[in-house]
Amino acid sequence: MRRLFESIKIAFQSLVSNKLRAFLTMLGIIIGVGAVVAMMSIGTGAQESIIKSVQDIGSNLIIVTPGNRQEEQQGFKQMLEDDKDKEALKVEDVKMIEKEATLIKGAAPAVLSSSIIAYLNKNTRASVYASSEKAEYIYNFEIEKGQFYTASDVQNSANVVVIGHTVINKLFGKIDPVGKIIKVDGKNFTVIGIIKSKGTDQFGNDQDNSISMPITTAQHKLYGIDYINMIIAQSTSENNIDQASKEVEKILRRAHNLRTDEKNDFTVQNQTQLLDIVGTIINIFTITISSIAGISLLVGGIGIMNIMLVSVTERTREIGIRKAVGAKNKDILFQFLVESVVLSITGGILGILFAVAVSIILNKFTILEPVISAFPIILAITFSTIVGLFFGIYPAMRAARLNPIAALRYE
Amino acid sequence: MEENCKDNNCIIEIKDITKVYRIGKIEVKALRGADLDILSGEFVAIMGPSGSGKSTLMNIIGCLDTPDSGKFLLENIDVSKLNDNQLAEIRNKKIGFVFQTFNLLSRSDAVRNVELPLIYTAGGTAGNRKTKIFDSLKSVGLIGWEKHKPSELSGGQRQRVAIARALVNDPAIILADEPTGNLDSVTGEEIMAIFQKLNREGKTILLVTHELDIARHASRIIYLRDGKIFREEKIDNPIDALEILEKMPRLEDKLSQ
Repeated sequence: MRRLFESIKIAFQSLVSNKLRAFLTMLGIIIGVGAVVAMMSIGTGAQESIIKSVQDIGSNLIIVTPGNRQEEQQGFKQMLEDDKDKEALKVEDVKMIEKEATLIKGAAPAVLSSSIIAYLNKNTRASVYASSEKAEYIYNFEIEKGQFYTASDVQNSANVVVIGHTVINKLFGKIDPVGKIIKVDGKNFTVIGIIKSKGTDQFGNDQDNSISMPITTAQHKLYGIDYINMIIAQSTSENNIDQASKEVEKILRRAHNLRTDEKNDFTVQNQTQLLDIVGTIINIFTITISSIAGISLLVGGIGIMNIMLVSVTERTREIGIRKAVGAKNKDILFQFLVESVVLSITGGILGILFAVAVSIILNKFTILEPVISAFPIILAITFSTIVGLFFGIYPAMRAARLNPIAALRYE
Repeated sequence: MEENCKDNNCIIEIKDITKVYRIGKIEVKALRGADLDILSGEFVAIMGPSGSGKSTLMNIIGCLDTPDSGKFLLENIDVSKLNDNQLAEIRNKKIGFVFQTFNLLSRSDAVRNVELPLIYTAGGTAGNRKTKIFDSLKSVGLIGWEKHKPSELSGGQRQRVAIARALVNDPAIILADEPTGNLDSVTGEEIMAIFQKLNREGKTILLVTHELDIARHASRIIYLRDGKIFREEKIDNPIDALEILEKMPRLEDKLSQ
């Protein structure tokens, strides 16, 4: 133990006496480790923010959209099919799912559009999420003030809306909007509630620049349609989401009277599939960067080996002196091995600091939110130790094998 | 000479050792049957022209090298049968080297240089180490210079650091290879005074030199030629380095005149 401490001290002395050389030698390791840690942090950060935004919506959600998107279809045929299936989903489908599905807690239809919203002499364009009263919990519309529309509002196609913060800022400023009358595409609506701010989604869209109203109102009074754009269903638990998706598919096929040889005219997707895709993309990204970093570590290791060989030659006399006063071969081996490991670990630590700095800068000036976790740091330290040992062993063995008489006479 | 070792007071017993070096295809017979006995507490000087085998003999006695044939007992241990690690241990504990070129670690201060052999000695506490280093530096008169690096010391001081390093593990023998070769005569004399003091305190000292004036500080001179002991000479009245130093004109004296 004392000898290890002694060797580390000697190693640091020799590094400090050759600062520039040591730094240049470590550069390969610094860049390699820095790249791995920074990229893994960015990857983790991206994954976490996507998972978070998915969980904001609800992680046991099943989304049904019209048209078949699982099949690889292209060109003109795709356009025809899209057009044909555009109106495939109806409010009745939602009722069917709610009635028959055993693994579904609740389902809500949605009409997604955008409209001009006006209050007095101000107007703005905002997204319209029209749905049923169930959207409040299925789509996580938290109401900050006022209330969400009720089942009877949906039943009666009431002209009521809940509105997001961006819309309020643009139209009302500091005025309390609840109870006020606004115009949506020229028709009067009463504001009955304020949606709690959700911020931007993972694609940078402002989720607060939106309003929500009963689906029947949107279908019959605003857009004049009988179909819906989307069904959002909630499975009873996160674990059975895949079975629940299958169940929804079966019910809809029956509801749409599809024969066994006919394709779905809708697409069922769930959040786990989405997360899987995101995970795969991030893994590919991480593996690519890691291989580049691996090459950098290899080059860094060769640099360390090179400098250690130079160091052994330069210090031949020192090795001779040490052997003359009683150093054994293994003592010399150990000393030089410790030196190369100290060199590579120092490089690794500087690399981690570099990555931390990069992460902080990215966090401040970009939308990326890198998260530095313990795993890449442990990985970096482990790998730089291995690089130091692997590329240090040969120079250290050469030092250990030097003949003391020849070493003492070396000029 | 052979009778010397009968009473077991012999620290070095060398009998008919040979050593051949091969440099490419040429064989160099460095030692061709040398015999040498050294008693414990002796001060012996070895002289001889270059190529006489002095260095080879020193390397063998210093356990840096082993003989091809013959017998070499160091404190009754047959060194020729030991492996590298055991030789390193003997060098560490029983031998103190002093070189012509000092051979100090230039980046380390006096204390770190003197400490060097202790690093490779198993056991011993930190406090114990400090005492040993202090005692060594004290016996060569370097108290107050502990934190100086070799580049901040004079030649004589550097050689004294080297002697302190040789002493720190309390070895049986001190091997000095031309210790005054790089020093002026006054400083050389000061170094010889230190060796004589150590010898009086009981250390066995083996000194290689090519200057007769230096060799005559020892109690016995051994002349080497062509890889053999050629002649030896007992010195009944060795030069006393302290006396010489007394007689030498000092710089201060000259300035005050």
